[in-house]
Amino acid sequence: MKETKKRSGWLRRLFRGGSKTLVEDNPSLAVEEIVSPFKQIVRGFLERKLAVGALCVLICMFIIVFIGPLFMPRYYDSYTETTQQNIAPGLGMMSVPAELKDDIKMIDGYGSFTVGLSNAGKVYVWGNTYDPVNGVDMEQIPEAVQNSKIVAVAAGIDHAVAVDEAGHVYAWGDNKRAQYGYFTPDQEVGMDVVSMPEGLANGTETIDADHILKITCGYQITAILMDDGQLYIWGNRKAYSNMDAFVGKEGLVDIDFTLNNIVGLTEARNSVFTGKRGLYDKFKETLTGKAVGAREFLNGRKIKQIVATTKNVCGELDDGSLFFVGDAIGALDPVPAMHPGEGFVSIAAGTYHYAGITTEGRVLAWGGNTLLQTSVPEDTKGTAKLYCGAFQTYGVNDGDQLVTKWGNKGYLFGTDKYGADIFQRIIQGGRMTMTIGAVAVIISVVIGIIVGCISGYFGGKVDMLLMRVTEIFAAIPFLPFALILSALMAQMNISENQKIFLLMVILGVLTWTGMARMVRAQVLVARENEYVTAAKAMGVRESVIAFKHILPNIVSIIFVSLTLDFATCLLTESSLSYLGFGVTYPRPTWGNMLNGVNNATIIKNFWWQWVFTSIFLAITCICINIVGDALRDVMDPKSDRDK
Amino acid sequence: MLMVLLILSILMFLLYNLVPANRAYTDAKTDMTAMKNQLKGKSSEEQAKIFEDLYHEYQKRYGTDTKNMAVKYLRWIGVYPNAYDQYNGLLQGNFGWSYENKKPVLETIKDPMANTIKINIFATIFGLGITIPLGIYCAIRKGKKIDQAVQVFTIVGYSLPAFIICIVFIWIFCSILGLFPPSGMKTPGSNYTGWAKFADEAKYLALPLITMTFCSLGGMTRYVRASMIDSLSLDCIRTARAKGVKEKTVIYSHAWRNALIPIVTQMVGWFLSIFGGSLMFENIFGLNGMGKLMIQSLRTADYDVIILLQMFYVAVSLIGNLVIDIVYGLVDPRVRVNK
Repeated sequence: MKETKKRSGWLRRLFRGGSKTLVEDNPSLAVEEIVSPFKQIVRGFLERKLAVGALCVLICMFIIVFIGPLFMPRYYDSYTETTQQNIAPGLGMMSVPAELKDDIKMIDGYGSFTVGLSNAGKVYVWGNTYDPVNGVDMEQIPEAVQNSKIVAVAAGIDHAVAVDEAGHVYAWGDNKRAQYGYFTPDQEVGMDVVSMPEGLANGTETIDADHILKITCGYQITAILMDDGQLYIWGNRKAYSNMDAFVGKEGLVDIDFTLNNIVGLTEARNSVFTGKRGLYDKFKETLTGKAVGAREFLNGRKIKQIVATTKNVCGELDDGSLFFVGDAIGALDPVPAMHPGEGFVSIAAGTYHYAGITTEGRVLAWGGNTLLQTSVPEDTKGTAKLYCGAFQTYGVNDGDQLVTKWGNKGYLFGTDKYGADIFQRIIQGGRMTMTIGAVAVIISVVIGIIVGCISGYFGGKVDMLLMRVTEIFAAIPFLPFALILSALMAQMNISENQKIFLLMVILGVLTWTGMARMVRAQVLVARENEYVTAAKAMGVRESVIAFKHILPNIVSIIFVSLTLDFATCLLTESSLSYLGFGVTYPRPTWGNMLNGVNNATIIKNFWWQWVFTSIFLAITCICINIVGDALRDVMDPKSDRDK
Repeated sequence: MLMVLLILSILMFLLYNLVPANRAYTDAKTDMTAMKNQLKGKSSEEQAKIFEDLYHEYQKRYGTDTKNMAVKYLRWIGVYPNAYDQYNGLLQGNFGWSYENKKPVLETIKDPMANTIKINIFATIFGLGITIPLGIYCAIRKGKKIDQAVQVFTIVGYSLPAFIICIVFIWIFCSILGLFPPSGMKTPGSNYTGWAKFADEAKYLALPLITMTFCSLGGMTRYVRASMIDSLSLDCIRTARAKGVKEKTVIYSHAWRNALIPIVTQMVGWFLSIFGGSLMFENIFGLNGMGKLMIQSLRTADYDVIILLQMFYVAVSLIGNLVIDIVYGLVDPRVRVNK
């Protein structure tokens, strides 16, 4: 029995392909499965966990950078915002404190922080409250304010004002430009400011807290308007050119601040008072409409209320319709369509946007929408009052409870010195950086391959000549030369896009030598192979042999070199832009976003302006290098695998 | 090699002459404003005549009285007479005039060049002092934890752009620890001599040197390690070990010598790249070096300075290539035999 089986096995092996079992039974005879070099590379690569991780990160980075901009329709390069400069990372600019939520008396904001007041008379501050430059933290509300019952608050760009029920006026924050505190007439002239009245400043005088009509702050300026028309106004005169017209002015019924001007409403209620001829005296029905004179426009109607944004002023007429004065700059959302017979009950204004409640109880917002200020949520039921921060709007119902809020939550990565969102700029800049790096590398590889192939394959005089040319290019010191070329480029009269393209060409043209030499060396080795001899014997044209037979055989090595070169080009572009050459502001790249960060103060105080950009740049470069290194190790059979 | 220098100099010269700058015109205009009092009472035609003369005079002086590029170039080199029939170019020792600093370029460059060379030499010494032992150490302990740690560390080191490392170091050493001043060459307004001067300078140069050394660690350590691993796997090493030679002798005498050949060439190239790279450091740390001068000159369009600096960089890299060839022959006896 045993014997037959053995024999049959022997026969099977001989005639019926049974030798497989022999191999299976006996591992020493096993033949390694044959895999194509490409598969082997992939397999080897996948074995390296670090490299695979790096590749994943890299792919994510590419996706973020190239797809991310699609989700930022409102982004544009030269965006600047004076009131939002150097804001620390955080998303708390709209988080109303829990204790305040059901007991809101008023909310006000102008810069990066917002103050709120509860009916109980307690003041709350939220948002980005700390300013490292002045060393001022708005959250440190003075003891006196905390201990007394406050009836009114207002917030400026770097100070806040509060009035208690006894009529004492308190203020805190920065006061380098006379935002509060008493300044002697000499100091006033020297600093170009208007001082707070001495009595109010040192607490000996009070105002009638029951008769405050409006308290409001602008950029380093404060105004308190009483219901008998008396106006207290103080602050930075340099920021408000028409301030003199308002000092000692009486008989106003409303006041607000644009970025550079003060606007008031007189008892006549038939024009916007600015104290200047030709300023804000042309009325428009819509933001971008045709401007006409005041008398013609109003036609007997009276102005009920005015609110001001940075560049323009919106007013409400006694028939519930709106008017606008001032310039409409930038992309502004128009006032949403009104139902027939619908009018406005009240309006409020932030830095660029307006919000209003209509007679039908609808909540509408219009004006600047770069930070989602006019994206009113669906559910606004019960909103009776609106309070606007700088870029936020809070809706409060009749029971003083917060029902809705919308606008700018804050900045994930903070803002730069121009007030632009760093997160958005990193993504936009990443696209630019990567595009430049990629195109530069492609240019350099194409030149390198052509020169290397020709030189290596033909040899002789051609080789000699091309190698001398390569030598010349290799002898050019890279960074200095690139600097000079981009400096020259900057003086040429060409468009920004052409400049960026030229920059890619410069980077490519300066980096191809390494690639050319490597390709040449590889071709020199490859052309001694039998398949080249065979191709020659068959009469294949030489150029075809060089580019079609030899090139595919060295493509893997080229690919590795390309990966590593990509990292180099990325770094070079960043270095150039960092030094202020290359791509320049306002167009962002990771290099020029770090441009301003070169002194210890900024590095320490505004850490978010370099940390995030650096991390993105560093991670990208490190990942590219890890992937490139791993590929090289995998592709090179000579390199020891157990490294 | 001289050929390369020549071609590059032509290339540079052409590049600079692409820039639309008319020094003669601006200088003549300035002179006219300076002579305002003398010109009073003269008719506008006379004034135009004077201006014309001045302009031509300046054009002659700056060698822009011709449109011919070849003539300009030859004049710059000093093999073609200028408008005054004099040979006055690079070969005669005339390196040009710095318009911004109002003195000859050579004088402008002297101090920064000394500084740059000083900084670079120090950085090289420190760099080699760390990388070579570290590379050898890692090569011997190949695959161990410490080696892997160093590998990751070095890959991070050479992937990061220099300026990010600078920023991080300034943050750590100046802002947090407060050890070093963030920029400058010496305490402003100080007038130290002798030891005090040296100490002051050392304090200011410490951070740039630390940063430069750190930046150069990555690449070089990897290189030393790789070539050391290669030479440790040579047959002669096995033979030596088999003979019972002490491990120290094997490593430092047998293996290291073999590893040195590629390292030396790399070292020279590296020293040269530091020259280009120190441009970045000088700018960030406010060191009065050639890199900073170059950026300043670029910003103010002081082209005589730039072209000379550029030629210097080119010359340095060419000489470097030559040195590599020579040193290669010195270190590796086989190269000489083959020749």
